Parts: sequence; C-alpha cells; structure tokens
Amino acid sequence: MNIFFYIAATVAITTTILAISRRNAIHALLNLILSLLSISVVLYLLDAQFIAALEVIIYAGAIMVLFIFVTMILNIGLENKQEKKWYNPRMWFVAAFFAGILFLDLILAVKNAQIQPVAAQVIHSKQVGISMFTTYLLAVEIAAVLLMAGIIGAFHLGSQEKKVMHRFLEKK
Amino acid sequence: MTETDFLSLTPLLIITIAPVVIMLIISIYRKYEIIFGFSLVSLLTAFVSLFIVQPLLPHRIDHLMVFDLYSLFFLGIIFFSAFLIMLLSHDYFKHLEGFREEYFIILFTATLGASLLAVANHFIIFFLGFELLSISLYILIAFQKKKDYPLEAGIKYLILASVSSAFLLFGMALIYTALGTMGFQGIADAISKMGVASPILVIGFGMMMVGIGFKLALAPFHMWTSDVYQGAPAPVSGYIATVSKGGVMAVFIRFFFDIKGFSNQDFFIVISAIAIFSMFVGNLLAIRQQNLKRLLGYSSIANMGYLIIILLIGNNDGARAAIFYMLSYFVTVIGAFGVISLLSTKNREAEKIEDFKGLFWKRPWIAIVLTLSLLSLAGIPLTAGFIAKFYVIFEGVKSGLMLLVFSMIINSVIGLYYYIRVIAVMFSTGEETTKLPSLSIIGNVALTMISISILILGVYPGWLIDMIMKLVAL
Repeated sequence: MNIFFYIAATVAITTTILAISRRNAIHALLNLILSLLSISVVLYLLDAQFIAALEVIIYAGAIMVLFIFVTMILNIGLENKQEKKWYNPRMWFVAAFFAGILFLDLILAVKNAQIQPVAAQVIHSKQVGISMFTTYLLAVEIAAVLLMAGIIGAFHLGSQEKKVMHRFLEKK
Repeated sequence: MTETDFLSLTPLLIITIAPVVIMLIISIYRKYEIIFGFSLVSLLTAFVSLFIVQPLLPHRIDHLMVFDLYSLFFLGIIFFSAFLIMLLSHDYFKHLEGFREEYFIILFTATLGASLLAVANHFIIFFLGFELLSISLYILIAFQKKKDYPLEAGIKYLILASVSSAFLLFGMALIYTALGTMGFQGIADAISKMGVASPILVIGFGMMMVGIGFKLALAPFHMWTSDVYQGAPAPVSGYIATVSKGGVMAVFIRFFFDIKGFSNQDFFIVISAIAIFSMFVGNLLAIRQQNLKRLLGYSSIANMGYLIIILLIGNNDGARAAIFYMLSYFVTVIGAFGVISLLSTKNREAEKIEDFKGLFWKRPWIAIVLTLSLLSLAGIPLTAGFIAKFYVIFEGVKSGLMLLVFSMIINSVIGLYYYIRVIAVMFSTGEETTKLPSLSIIGNVALTMISISILILGVYPGWLIDMIMKLVAL
C-alpha cells in the first residue's frame, strides 16, 4: 500500500513541476494528464474510489483531451520569446522563497498536529449521490448557475463579429 | 426542501431566474432597452421581496444558508448598489458595438454570487458564491473585448483571483482536516471545545485570510486593485468596489463573529497589522495619482483598512459601525464611478484628472455630484462620509483601540489632500478641450438618487443607525 502511495506521489510532484516548466504547450499538457492520473491513484489508495474515478473521467479524460485537441488544432504549441524571458530566476526567486516558507510551515504543522483519520469508511458513489440530491441540492443548483455564467462569458468573449466582406477582400 | 425554505429563498430565486429569462428574451428579440428595463424591474422585485420574506425570519436551510435580519440587510445593500450601477451602465454600454445585452445577464450572476455570500453559513456556499462572483467579474472586466486595457485587466484579475480562490479552498480544506466540519456553527463549537488552536487550524485560517483579503483588496494582497480599476469599464469598477466587497464583507463579519476571532491574540495582531498597512499603502500610493480611477482604487484599499479595524472591537457596536461605514462608502463610491461612466464616450474613458478641468463651469450638476462624493470620501461634515468616520472613531475610542484610531486620523488627513486636489481641478478655469457627452434622463435619475442618499446619510443618519441597531445582532 505504502509503496504505491510513494510512487504515485513522486510521479504527481515531478509531472506537475514539468507541466509548469515546459515551454511546449503539448508537452506541458501531457505532463498535466499524467499528474492528474497519479493523483487519482493516491485518491484510490485513500479508499475514495468515487472521486478517483471522477478525476480520471472528468479531468484526465474530458477536459485535458479537449485542451490538447484545441491546442493541436490552433497550432499554438510553439515556444514564444516572452515566456522564455519569464523563466529567469529574477522573476520567480522571491515568490519561490515565500512559497518555501509556507511549505516549511505546513510541514511543521502536519508533524506537530495529532490528526485522527477523519473518515475510515469507504464512501460509495451512492452515498455521494444521495447527499448531492438531498443536503447539498442547493449547492448543486448554484454550481449550475456558475457554469451558465461561464458559458455566457465564453460566448461573449469568444464570439466573432459578423463579416460583411469576404476575408480575402479585406484590407490588411 | 420545505415550503418555508422556498419562500425565504424568494429574493435569491428572482435573481437566479432573471438571467435565464433575459437569455430567452435575447433569443427571441435582441433589444437593449427591453433587456435593460426587464433587469431593473427584476432587481426592484427582488428588493421588494425582502420585505415580504421578513416575517419568516430567522430561518435556516440545512445549515447551508441562514436567513436572518443581518443577511437580509446585506441583501438589501447588495441589491440597492447593483440597482444604482445598472442605472449608470445604461448610457455607458449603449454605444458599445456588438453584443452588449449579455452584460445584464452577467451582472445578475455576479449579484447572485454576492448575495450567496451574504446568506452563507457553510463553507460550500461560501466557496460557490465566491467563485460565482469571481467568474462573473472576469467577464464583466473584459467585457469590451476590443480594447487593450480591459483585456489586460481581465487576464490579471483571472490569474490573481484564481490564486486567491486556491488559497481560500486550501485553507478551508485544512480547517476541515483539523475540525471535521464545514458549517460555521460546527466550526465555532469545535474551536470553543478545543482550547489551544492546532497549527493546522492556524495555517488554515491564515490561508482563508489571504483569499478574503484579496477580494477586499487589503494591503499585502492589493496589487491587482489599481490596474483592474483602471482597465475595467467604469460601472464595473464601481461594482467591484461595492457589491463584490459588500458580499465578501458580509460573510467575513459573520464568520469572524461566529468563531470569535477577535478573542484570539494572533488573529487580533494579524488583522490590526493588515488594517494599518492597508491605510498607509492606499493613501500614500494615491497621493501622486493622475488617473481618477486608479486614485479611487487606492482609496478603496485605505477605506477597507478603516473598515476592518472596527471589527476588532468584537461586539455588536463594532459590527454596526462597520456596516454603517460600508453603506456610506458604497453610496459615495458609486457616485464617483457614476460620474466617470456618464462622462465617458464611446472611444474615450474620462479617467484622467485633467479631463475634469473646468467641469464645474461646463456641467455644474455633474461637478456638484462628484464634489459631493469626493468630500464624502474625505469625511467633510454634512456628507455621509463624515458621520461614518465619526461613528467608527467613536466606537474605536470607546473600546480603547488607540493605535488604530490614531493611524486612521493621520490617514484621513493624507486622504484629504488628494481628494481636494481633484475638486480644485474641477473648479479651475481652463480652455475647452474635450466635448462632453450629453446626460440622459436615466443618468440624471441615478445621480440624483446618489446625491440625495449621500446628503441624507450625512445630515439625518439617525433613522438608519436605529435600523442597523435593530437589525444587526450577531
């Protein structure tokens, strides 16, 4: 059990770092998929099968594949100069320093705290479904409104003007 | 869900149904004036429904939401501010090319997010409201997608608000790890039983503070404020300064009072440091500002600093003073952004201070409203800002928060300088440079409402203070 956790956790951390630092968009996205898959392994080891399955189906399956297709279709996987400039240490050193302090803080906190395992039992999808449609019904409805706002925004920001002239006749 | 649940949800349901109906209207017949009228009527209906809901109170829905006089009062503030901003947006977006009716849909979803924060009693509703507000604001900020500044501001807000949401969510997760509950009441009970706070809990609250501080633009998390205020359309800047901050403030005050944050020494020190830092950073950065929108952005940082001081008093008096301060600040700042949005034309945003040169001699009425707003921000008697500052300082002195009160007084003096500078520019005589747009009836109505509110709150605030006394008992 434990050895699986460590393997999955190492893969997750390495691939996440790679996903951030790769300048080629396709490589970064493939790394991100790997990281999501390994996180779902971690969740599975914690007996949260439902959320592990959701992680694979929704994130790694649907969203990331969509991302990759869009990136490939639009052909924006090329490196650009601006991004290269952002990778010099001057840009990220201060942020990394403060993030490091926060990280040390978290490690100390976890070491000193006596945490009892919150839920030892396996939570099945049936229970999740029941609580979603009874106790948290309102939250689900609000999530629907949130998606609606997102879709309308995507429509507005992504919509193109109707063209009167054919694009070959337009003056450049 | 019982019948009472549905009835007490009425104001939120109206706000939820309105954008769907607007979408249907758009799909049948796309006309700006119709959508605008429908939006105004829906907001008014939601506002009136607050009075109908009132006899049902207090009512809880499954520990997720709580409807009491406090949340109802905040809903009233949010709807009122959104109503004024909607009136002011009419002229601003009238001339926009392309689709502009979507603006009202997104304005409704953003208002729903803020209202959810006002009724939240559980981390899930808190976070969903927070996200709904953020996502709607990205779209509102970048609404004029053809221009450079709005897009830049939108991307900046998108990235920084996502980071702050991540902090908030991580903080909530840590608190859940430490206590095993996500309802505000459950957390309060668990903390009072625990005695000494575990380190995980402290880090969790710290991270939540980052998320909340970002939305309120408090000092170490204020970097986005001036850029976003400048880039966003003027009514949207007003929206960020009022409705968005009002919602977050409502949930912050409720959570802070539920967990009795003020009795914890660490919390007290952190919040006073943030408050003093916000005041000085906001005011000092505003001094040399040549852009009125950025100036108002910086002044909002300082004003939020004044506002959270008073929560440290930790009793109902403090909360009441904070709420009165917030209400008067909202009315005032909507006035200032309203003037900017009414003076802006299709191609040019009236945001530079020199744009206002000699405004008094060309457009006395608009100049008077702006003067009133700026005087109220500076805290000159007969305006809302004076009573609000007086109330806050009074409560501060009464409970002996001397350091905070003194830094507030010093900062009020600094603030006076840059507000008066803008007023002086307006009254100076200068040659005619730009052509000012004509004022529509709707804009006039909005300006009249705002200036009357500022004056009433400044001259005769007794009834409102009595009302707040009666409503707000946390």
